[in-house]
Amino acid sequence: MKVDLREFRAAYLAEVDEHLSAINAGLMAVDTANRAGKSSPRELRELMRLLHTIKGLSAMVGIEPIVGIAHRMETVLRAADRAGGLLGDRALEAMIAGTRAIESRVRAVANDEPVLDAAAGTLAELDAVEAEMEADVTPQSLVPDAILDPEVGAKLTASEREQLAQGAAGGRHGVRIDFAPSPAKAESGLTITTLRDRITAIGEIVRVLPMAMPATEAAPGGLLFALILLTDASLDAITDTAGVPRADVQEILAARLLPLGPISDPNPPVGASSADGAVAGAESTPLGDDGAHVEVQRPGVLRVDVARIDDTIEKLSGLIVTRSRLARAAAKLRDAGADTRDLDAILIDNARQLRDLRAAILRVRMIPISTVLDRLPLVIRGLGRTTGKQVRLSLEGGGAELDKTVAERIFPALVHILRNAVDHGIEKPEERVRNGKPEHATITVTSSSRNNRQIEIRIQDDGRGVDRARVSAKAGRDAADDTALLELMCRPGLSTRDQVDTTSGRGVGMDIVRKIVVDGLGGELMLETKPGFGTAFVLRVPLTIAIVDAFMLRCGGQRFVVPVPVVEEIIDLDPKRLVRGPRVGGHETRFIARRDETVPVIDLAHALGLVNPHAPYVESGVLDAMQALVVRRGHDEPVAFAIERVLGQQETVVRPLVDPLVVVTGVSGSTDLGDGRATLVLDLIGLTGKLGHARGVAA
Amino acid sequence: MRDAAIVPVAATADMPILHVLFKVDETLYALPADVVLQMESYTGATVVPGAPAFVAGIIQLRGRVVPVVDLRARFGLQPKERTLETRVVVGEQHDRTVALVVDSAREVVRMAPSQLKPPPRLVDDGARGFVKFVAQLGDRTVMVLDFAKVIGEELPDV
Repeated sequence: MKVDLREFRAAYLAEVDEHLSAINAGLMAVDTANRAGKSSPRELRELMRLLHTIKGLSAMVGIEPIVGIAHRMETVLRAADRAGGLLGDRALEAMIAGTRAIESRVRAVANDEPVLDAAAGTLAELDAVEAEMEADVTPQSLVPDAILDPEVGAKLTASEREQLAQGAAGGRHGVRIDFAPSPAKAESGLTITTLRDRITAIGEIVRVLPMAMPATEAAPGGLLFALILLTDASLDAITDTAGVPRADVQEILAARLLPLGPISDPNPPVGASSADGAVAGAESTPLGDDGAHVEVQRPGVLRVDVARIDDTIEKLSGLIVTRSRLARAAAKLRDAGADTRDLDAILIDNARQLRDLRAAILRVRMIPISTVLDRLPLVIRGLGRTTGKQVRLSLEGGGAELDKTVAERIFPALVHILRNAVDHGIEKPEERVRNGKPEHATITVTSSSRNNRQIEIRIQDDGRGVDRARVSAKAGRDAADDTALLELMCRPGLSTRDQVDTTSGRGVGMDIVRKIVVDGLGGELMLETKPGFGTAFVLRVPLTIAIVDAFMLRCGGQRFVVPVPVVEEIIDLDPKRLVRGPRVGGHETRFIARRDETVPVIDLAHALGLVNPHAPYVESGVLDAMQALVVRRGHDEPVAFAIERVLGQQETVVRPLVDPLVVVTGVSGSTDLGDGRATLVLDLIGLTGKLGHARGVAA
Repeated sequence: MRDAAIVPVAATADMPILHVLFKVDETLYALPADVVLQMESYTGATVVPGAPAFVAGIIQLRGRVVPVVDLRARFGLQPKERTLETRVVVGEQHDRTVALVVDSAREVVRMAPSQLKPPPRLVDDGARGFVKFVAQLGDRTVMVLDFAKVIGEELPDV
């Protein structure tokens, strides 16, 4: 039982750690907004959510003091939300103190020490700022009630009204969707949760208001949800996306600014040429002085929804499939004795053009690594504030580009490493001075492209270095070099955190870093550390390579994915051209002639042992299969796997299947084709080996 | 604010432990909360051909791929259609994360170690060691599962 507890604690610590760093970043953002004289309703609500999660997690493991502090902080945020999304400086300080109090208790949990109740002063201050804000709330009505449905209007908070007003000023309109849950709708997949998900894709949900109403057939629960959202989408588009009746979607607040001013204006102002039409449009903005909400784009830069790029890639995949059909048709002509030299030359050009086009589209998905690194100073400021250590962050490089997906995934790993560096690697200012180091510690983050496949990010601190002896002692094993040391540090749950002020190594979160970098992205993680001089973590991640080009196919009623490089050829199966072999032991073999080779045809659904709704074609002779994928294991003879058909080609991120329950021959991993469900990645070569083995045994 | 004094983290002798309760075929089961990562509604899994029969397949959870064990199949019970009540209880132990499909899950209780009794021998034999403890909660009987056994730590050739 005790072992289990410790195991769960590691998960708890990792998760709370992550939320705490998000809270720190959020508080910094509020601070920045305060200094600019702006409110931050969205940040406050995010903070509320994070604290609420911490409260819940802590309650689950029974750490009451953290529950108590998080609860108070949540109350303060709620008051700030009611006060129009403003968290004053005094309240901000109290929140930072609260965060620090949670952090020190989390550290106590990690160290197996007793968790102390929060200091009375911290709690009293949180109470005081909350009381102050409650007294301060002056009713604001940024959205005139005349525009808002009074029934809804009365239920929105001041900050939600402000959010609506700002959204409308930014060119979006406020929309209300009514949804009454019912078992019938739930059957068809429409619940308040799925509706929320669908809406999130096209707009920003301001509030979901539950409303009581008389029970009717349409609303058997006597409950109605009014979703208030801000969106660019038209009412018809919302109706389509949400899958609710058009009558339940209504505009409650019109957009105040037309986002496409110059285009919709048939009489452009005199003197405004078409080239500076956009500028003219911006000038006509009624709220031009509100810079935060009118996005000024750099000339020549276009912001595009990633989904559109993915759509383009999908279209390209269609083109690639067509090309292989074209190549097959040309081969047929050649076999029939036609002169295809011109056609062959065109096909070669065509292949090159397709490759270039694909590279060009993938380049569109690339963003500079600086967009990730630029978020780090905020993290460091938050960490410095909560630990009392003085840290300077120096960013070098940043021009290298990588795929947006890779960039997004790597960010949490960088945050973990920085957090560890500040928490453990960097000494307190007094200690640094004693050791003849500058009071200010420096963390240098360098990034560079290693080659055209990998980017390298190096995070170097000038702290005390990893305490090798302590890590070895905790892990119960020696570490001969830095590589072995890193291996020990990446063990899940390994923590070398000890009493504050004693030399401690690193550990918490390193298993997560490795999961992200190595397991998730197929990259490398390295460590260089020197006692007294500092530690460097080196991350090498592929620019795009974690994304595998794969064929999607249907087989036995299920969708699968096969990496493109494995497939030698996709052939159409013509039943008339299938050759029947002798029947041995009830197993019929079929072959197909392919150029000068005889290729055995294996029903993939059968080979995988899938329950096929129709009888396997080999037995019944009825061809479900329309196509086959030809693969070859090393220099062995090729094998054709019969499938229903190839559905297309797509870039996919492959995750290996590691749990023993699902490690099976023929399946190498899982991928998400964008529907949020797992799709299996097949290892056809491995499957070939298994079949060959089975055949050998049978003979 | 709660008036809790110092709360030690290490379990004292008979500190009540949080358990998650769930039902499979009208029988009440429990797992200690420190094994349970999360509970989610269940919308079906992707079948993995060649996996043991009690494995419903894999699902994606927050970007992770997690195998799903169908407890009805694992316990040799009749299969049942998925309903709105069907849940997956996601557990994590010894580096493995596995989801269990259950008929419903909606309760969390605290049970002290002294409440947990070893299962009667007949139950133990019949359940192949899946049941670690049996507890009485008022008039309800709860079987506390051995998560490691359920997800098959004894699997061959792994």
